Amino acid sequence: MHIPDGYLGPITCALFYLIMIPFWYKGILELKKLDPRKLPLLGVLTAFSFLVMMFNLPVPDGTTAHMVGGTLIAILMDNPWVATIAISIVLIIQAIFFGDGGITCIGANCFNMGVVLPFVGYYVYKFLRDKVGEVIASGIGAYVGIVTAAIVAGLEFGLQPFIEPGYCPYPFTVAVPAMAFAHLITAGPAAAVVTAIVVWYVKKVRPDLFTSQNKQVSGVNA
Amino acid sequence: MNWQDPLVKKFLYVIIAMILLCPLGILLVWDYGDAWGEWGPEDVSEKVGEDKVSGLLHLADIWAYAPLPDYNIPGWEDKVHASIGYIISAIVGVALCLGAYYILVKVVNPQASSS
Repeated sequence: MHIPDGYLGPITCALFYLIMIPFWYKGILELKKLDPRKLPLLGVLTAFSFLVMMFNLPVPDGTTAHMVGGTLIAILMDNPWVATIAISIVLIIQAIFFGDGGITCIGANCFNMGVVLPFVGYYVYKFLRDKVGEVIASGIGAYVGIVTAAIVAGLEFGLQPFIEPGYCPYPFTVAVPAMAFAHLITAGPAAAVVTAIVVWYVKKVRPDLFTSQNKQVSGVNA
Repeated sequence: MNWQDPLVKKFLYVIIAMILLCPLGILLVWDYGDAWGEWGPEDVSEKVGEDKVSGLLHLADIWAYAPLPDYNIPGWEDKVHASIGYIISAIVGVALCLGAYYILVKVVNPQASSS
């Protein structure tokens, strides 16, 4: 889902950098307010996200896809804004040091994987949590989140020929189904299983991280 | 930040295991193509014609300074070398992520990060 340099034209790239500014700004503010006990966990989850993206999975059409970890971070932090920051760190490092995802497309890639993915995933999880339980809800959230992000990436690829021709040559009638397929069938299920397992495990061993700070204090006093 | 937290330590073990296992991420897809939309510029222009992607060809190589392009040491093409290059990239990537995150938290939240 890492759009490389060249596939989006200058106007599209600039637009997504602009869109990202308020998300990055609000994300930094939320990071400032985050329960300090969660800060080390967010750090290792950032590295975890970098690594899960290295596990490319085969897609039957001959391409590959990978999970991202954005929904997982949003659920464990109980805050999709800081997931935007964590995933953006990963994507910027990938673009600069590993040439994965374009420098010009950092805005678009951060929007797809760092905003659409964790926000959709987190709110699907929130909506389902009381109905199907937290573990199943987190798996479904991760699945819907990554598939939605892939479709949005497909729309960006596919609208490019209509915005400025000469960049991505494929219209959205080609790009959207291709992006959706790879993530519906491969990356989505992987994201669902991994997210559900990690959420289940973390909430089992560290329920204290998920009570609010005030409750935690009164709990300690009691 | 309390990096001695047992849960954080467990994640660090998971991260080490993932670094060692990461070559699976290229070996399982060795004969597969790129992810959709991530083809090299030559491959696209060959497929659709150079005139259709003039802008793409112009922008594609704008960033030629990645030290580990495609998570590999340039020239390490066979499976064994590419796997080692991939592991090196994973170690470098994890270090960069943890370092960048640590600095960011230090800057935005100095009190929390010193406790």
